[in-house]
Amino acid sequence: MFMDCGTCETSGPVQLMTPEVVNVNLTISSKAQEMLVDAFGDDRSMALLVGVLSGGCSGYMYDLQIVEETDQSCQEVVIEGFRVLVPNASSHLLDGIEIDYVDRLMGGGFRINNPNAESSCGCGESFA
Amino acid sequence: MPRVAYEDASLTVWQGADALQFIDGLSSNKMVDMIQGEVRQTVFTTTKAKIVDLATVFHMGDFLAVQLHTSQLERLLKHVTPRILDQKVTIVDVTSRNQFCIEYGIHNTNVGQFESLDGVTHGHVDERYSLLIASLDVETKPTVDQALFHEWRIENQIPWNGFEVTGKNHPLSAGLNQLVHPAKGCYIGQEILARMISRGRQGKKLTRVENNSVDEKFITTQGQSHSLAIIR
Repeated sequence: MFMDCGTCETSGPVQLMTPEVVNVNLTISSKAQEMLVDAFGDDRSMALLVGVLSGGCSGYMYDLQIVEETDQSCQEVVIEGFRVLVPNASSHLLDGIEIDYVDRLMGGGFRINNPNAESSCGCGESFA
Repeated sequence: MPRVAYEDASLTVWQGADALQFIDGLSSNKMVDMIQGEVRQTVFTTTKAKIVDLATVFHMGDFLAVQLHTSQLERLLKHVTPRILDQKVTIVDVTSRNQFCIEYGIHNTNVGQFESLDGVTHGHVDERYSLLIASLDVETKPTVDQALFHEWRIENQIPWNGFEVTGKNHPLSAGLNQLVHPAKGCYIGQEILARMISRGRQGKKLTRVENNSVDEKFITTQGQSHSLAIIR
């Protein structure tokens, strides 16, 4: 191709805004803990990974996964025996969150109450 | 075919396994199904659906070449880079290695594809014009001046960066409706644009008007007899 993409020589990447890593405090509501007991059973070797992806209507989307390990650089918080992993890259967005569970037919499920969110989209999966 | 210099163009290279998904999640057009050899435009928007920048994405196989605008580049990077988080995306600015032209007044039959002709990459982004990018050692002399090009734009109601495509407008009012995908997943600004479309309430829209027929404050590109305006 004839545009010069600079991929053959060393071109420095643009300066990325890298947020500071913060020590995350988080809580899990009693309803969410009940649901985690259902999900995990007696196996406490698994962990709940609470991450953030770009996208969604408001710019960031929550990403909840049950994992054994992850290759992301994470900090681990243990609450009532549950291991919760929070990626350092998104720690500034997740400090102070409450993991809750909303029990209803439509739009129910795990929900994050986030004091850092200026706004959230209607479905609650995305925040800014 | 007439060629005009595209002076505000910039070129960035986006690499990493998550690059295409990342762009898709932050802009209005569906990008995740792009394949090598395709070129597609999309609009990065704010949570209020205002335009951050219009991007032309060339899928080069191992990476994406993304044409943006120098005047908007800093704003765009401030918008996107905090959202990279742990995703595999790196961005390199290679603007200074390239030159940019628009070839217009043509009839592209292969819209959405790009090809290399005489050392120049031709991105066929629209039936009526192509975006040309070449390294600095290739001759791509413009054949017409900006005024002629803008007269042609007015005639064909083509929005342009800095005129209609600005941070004051959303993609629908700027005449970029074809870049707002009706069925893709969520992206920043999507709720507002989807509501406008579903309720048929787009507000202002890009219109070709006779000079002196509308208030000057609505004119976005001034021509000799006609102009482009964004009006209700």
